[in-house]
Amino acid sequence: MFKHWIPSKPLSLLAAALAAACVIAAPARAQDIKVGFNADQSGTAVAELGIAARHGFDLAIEDINKAGGVLGRKLVGVIRDDTGAPPKSIQNMTELIDSEKVVAVLGPANSGNALAWLHLPQQKKIPVIVPVATATDITRRYANEPQNYIYRISMVDREQVALLLAYAVKATKNKKIAFIADSTGFGQQGVKDLTEVLALHGQQPVAVEKFGPKDTDMTSQLAKIRDSGADTVIVYGLADANAQLLRSMEKINYFPTTLGTWGNMSTPLLNIAGKKLSEHIIFATSTAEDSNPRAVALAARVRERYPQMPTFVAAAQSYDATILLAAAIKQAGTTDGAKVASTLDAGVPDTQGIIKLYKKPFNKTEHDALSVSDFNLARWKDGRVTSYSDAITKAMTPADLKK
Amino acid sequence: MINLLQALLSGLALGGIYALVALGFSITHTTTKTLNFGQGEFLVAGSLVAVGTLLLISGKSQTGVLTSADVNLLSYGMALVVSLAVLGVLGVILYFTAVRPFFGSAGMSWVMSTIGFGIILQNTALAIWGPGSMAMPSPLGETVIRIGGAGIRPQEILVLAVTAVVMLALDHVLRRTRIGKAVRAVAANRQAAALMGINVAAIVVLAFVVSSGLAGLAGLLIAPITTASVFMGLSIALKAFSAAIVGGLTSPRGCIAGGFLLGCVEALVGLWRAEMREITIFALIILVLVIKPEGLFGQKPFEKV
Repeated sequence: MFKHWIPSKPLSLLAAALAAACVIAAPARAQDIKVGFNADQSGTAVAELGIAARHGFDLAIEDINKAGGVLGRKLVGVIRDDTGAPPKSIQNMTELIDSEKVVAVLGPANSGNALAWLHLPQQKKIPVIVPVATATDITRRYANEPQNYIYRISMVDREQVALLLAYAVKATKNKKIAFIADSTGFGQQGVKDLTEVLALHGQQPVAVEKFGPKDTDMTSQLAKIRDSGADTVIVYGLADANAQLLRSMEKINYFPTTLGTWGNMSTPLLNIAGKKLSEHIIFATSTAEDSNPRAVALAARVRERYPQMPTFVAAAQSYDATILLAAAIKQAGTTDGAKVASTLDAGVPDTQGIIKLYKKPFNKTEHDALSVSDFNLARWKDGRVTSYSDAITKAMTPADLKK
Repeated sequence: MINLLQALLSGLALGGIYALVALGFSITHTTTKTLNFGQGEFLVAGSLVAVGTLLLISGKSQTGVLTSADVNLLSYGMALVVSLAVLGVLGVILYFTAVRPFFGSAGMSWVMSTIGFGIILQNTALAIWGPGSMAMPSPLGETVIRIGGAGIRPQEILVLAVTAVVMLALDHVLRRTRIGKAVRAVAANRQAAALMGINVAAIVVLAFVVSSGLAGLAGLLIAPITTASVFMGLSIALKAFSAAIVGGLTSPRGCIAGGFLLGCVEALVGLWRAEMREITIFALIILVLVIKPEGLFGQKPFEKV
């Protein structure tokens, strides 16, 4: 399968061999195992998450190769930027699978892109682990096929709603919870999930308001929420709009308990709302930089290399996805996609990740490694995302997490 | 009551921006019967050049983040000067490349060429500053000022004040000075103005410079409220154009009034139902066009024989 490039690139092969010989005695490059990475690193608001995920991917590969690689071979990452555009993302997937012959792919960052190309890896039997995108449907679409090739180590929309409402129901003193969401599919699906899960708690929102994703003044909507008497508000929007919402709250001097999704950990929230205001919103996340010693260590390593790295959590999720994939290839004893996927389903040996110790993270029906019980609350503190706890989080029990 | 006042204050601040851009539409329309359909991208250019200047002054890279320590009245003033200068030059380039070649020829080639110029501008900005929204702290700080219980930020007051000053100054220039009278003469009848010894070409270039300058000024003023982003131009320009239609494209005073009217209608409708804002605004425009096609303050065009 490499015959078209070995003769054409003898020099680079020689250079690679020389470089490898200088560092460690590595096997020839033709033996490398290629893993693709396809996510937005420049185009949209989630590019920050895509970049962080790439850093996690790079570091995991570095660690795996330091420990001797997989099946005695070196792991090599093949990185593509889809700029947030579905057509580009589809093109990248085709190229990675058909030309680069990757054995698996990590990505993407935008849920819409994942939904645009899921059929490709599914048809070509190439396992995909999604390290960022959150749309609930991504891992469910092929759930009824003999083998579903799509896995995820990230937040899942419905699961974070469960956590936010578990907190909100305990936090509200007057049982008045309001929702405010952007008018896009993302926000409106969020309102639907929120309303359904709140009904499981036996309550209804006292107000549901909308705003445009580019709006800069939400005082009118907030005034209505205030008039409804709500003391707890859940906001379902992206970081820049949420920052404007916080600024509008300051304008009308109305500061209810405010909760949001993990998108709030993007830096626009901090840059637009400022340090002090950004601390007001509490959001769901899988891990924070200070969650455990492993996270602290990884964050320090990533920051050493990429001081600008804004959203650590995507790096952690991506790191874990890569080492789980490596563990599955090792266990399967082959890079064959179908066998790796069935090994992921049947169970890989316990693997210590950054976020947690993975014990049978996947099975035939469950392709999301993380669920609401793995999620925590976090908020901005002094320009960094830090984990959040108070009397309410301590009083929360698994029974509160309805979904 | 406080909610009403709050909505009015927010509406006036946004309306001021619409008014400034609408004024820019009006000035080129009255002197050349053309419009710059890339006006929104000119506004984007104004705010991004200002952000770029501020980043340069504070010694950061063009993709850096401005903090409130980087923005004071002096640096904001310098950003204003640079921004107006760049936009003025862009206005001249726009006129000579995208408007003048199509003068006198039938058809509406200038519509496409001004839109095209705007897209070129937008993509250039995209290449330099990227797609993200860039925060620009206000030089006046972020402390909310309370008026009768409603909150307003210093930057919003600045927008209102600047709009009022620009409006009064322009009104004065157009009505009281020689150059203003020359502009009005060109607007009324180019041939007659030329015969009277007015340098029509210079007046027309001036109109494009002032028009682009106003868009740039609006961009600079609005950046601390909305953040500067490559993609913010279209929706603002569309509403500003609507404001000009409602108030009357031929009347500078009408454009100002239309801008404030639209801003307030938008905010007040938001108090009732947020998703009805755009619907109400564009329904209002259709209504005005049906009842008074020349705009609320516009003059009925008439031909003397």
